[in-house]
Amino acid sequence: MVVATLALAGIFVAVYLTLYKLGLIGELSCSIGSCETVNSTPWATFAGAPVAAWGVGFYVTTFGLAMAGLQDRFADSRRLSLALVLLSGFGVAFSGWLTYLELFVIHAICQWCVVSAVLVLAIFLVSLWDFVARRTEKVIRY
Amino acid sequence: MAQPKQPSGPKGSVRNARNASNRPLGFYLILGAITAAGIGGLAYATLRPDKPAAVVDAPEPLPGVVGAARGYMLGDSSAPVRIVEFADFECPSCARFATITEPDIRTRIIEAGLANLTYFDLPLPQHLNSQAASNAAACADDQGKFWAMHDQIYARQHEWSTYATKNPKGQLKSAAQAAGLDLNAWESCFDARRHQARIDANAAEAARRGVRSTPTFFIGGKMYTGPITYDEMKAAIDTARAAATAASGSDTSR
Repeated sequence: MVVATLALAGIFVAVYLTLYKLGLIGELSCSIGSCETVNSTPWATFAGAPVAAWGVGFYVTTFGLAMAGLQDRFADSRRLSLALVLLSGFGVAFSGWLTYLELFVIHAICQWCVVSAVLVLAIFLVSLWDFVARRTEKVIRY
Repeated sequence: MAQPKQPSGPKGSVRNARNASNRPLGFYLILGAITAAGIGGLAYATLRPDKPAAVVDAPEPLPGVVGAARGYMLGDSSAPVRIVEFADFECPSCARFATITEPDIRTRIIEAGLANLTYFDLPLPQHLNSQAASNAAACADDQGKFWAMHDQIYARQHEWSTYATKNPKGQLKSAAQAAGLDLNAWESCFDARRHQARIDANAAEAARRGVRSTPTFFIGGKMYTGPITYDEMKAAIDTARAAATAASGSDTSR
């Protein structure tokens, strides 16, 4: 439930950043610093699409998996737990790389990118806790 | 008597809490609240009217420009009001201003003799092809066609910007051709970066005036940050003219 909640919030953050990147919302000038700087760099685009659009895909997938895990038929699925850990682990690595670029290459911080990075990290930690807790329970139970 | 089927799985684990009895209404209410807030926030951000350009008093005095800075003037040099613009050819907001707002300003303000406009380069570091575009425009100025090139560069920004290419020369050359330039002369100037010092000086002038974003305009002692609308610019010019008239009136009455 926590993962689903965080992922849903992440969807809106990523959609906002995608619309910002596409020029549909946001500040109306190009400034020396802040989100505009970050979003104007080549690193704001990945494989031909805005990084934020990939973020939308990531959060939607995570939200879908988390909601699926709430269904009784998947309540025992360790694969689903593992999928969430792997997916969010990849998200943490990707967000970490982007944060590194912001701090040490671009020298500007985009606040919404930071919000997204924190959400991804939280999703990863909760997923990992869930996965480990299930493994522990299995050992105790069997 | 058959017992209702209980969800299997380890008791007390985080994911085992996902059986129906442990999915409280509150969870769905939270999801609903996030969805409502998210959609509302996005709708507000998308549909709200553009923020007016931010206005502050320009640092005084502004004794023209210093050093090698030299802008590109459009209009009558003796017009009563002077508009100074600092812009970046690769800045999307500057392109929106140049292609959507500026045509009206040229027709109804510049050509009407109410003001002239001087353009200064401010290539921002995150726009990797902006220096090339500034050089391309400066070389067009050698042939007296800065403004024709200015218009072509902004109209084609999506073709030569950092996202489109790492080497914008070909696209800028096409712009030069469309602007009616002598391509051989333009190309030798562009390749030699003949006007780099002027561009650097223009950017230094922006720093001297405290300009931190583009486009930024100076009109009548005020600094306007953001792509100013036609109405805002007309009001700023009317105010500047009124102030100049009052000042000259008080000078005369002394």
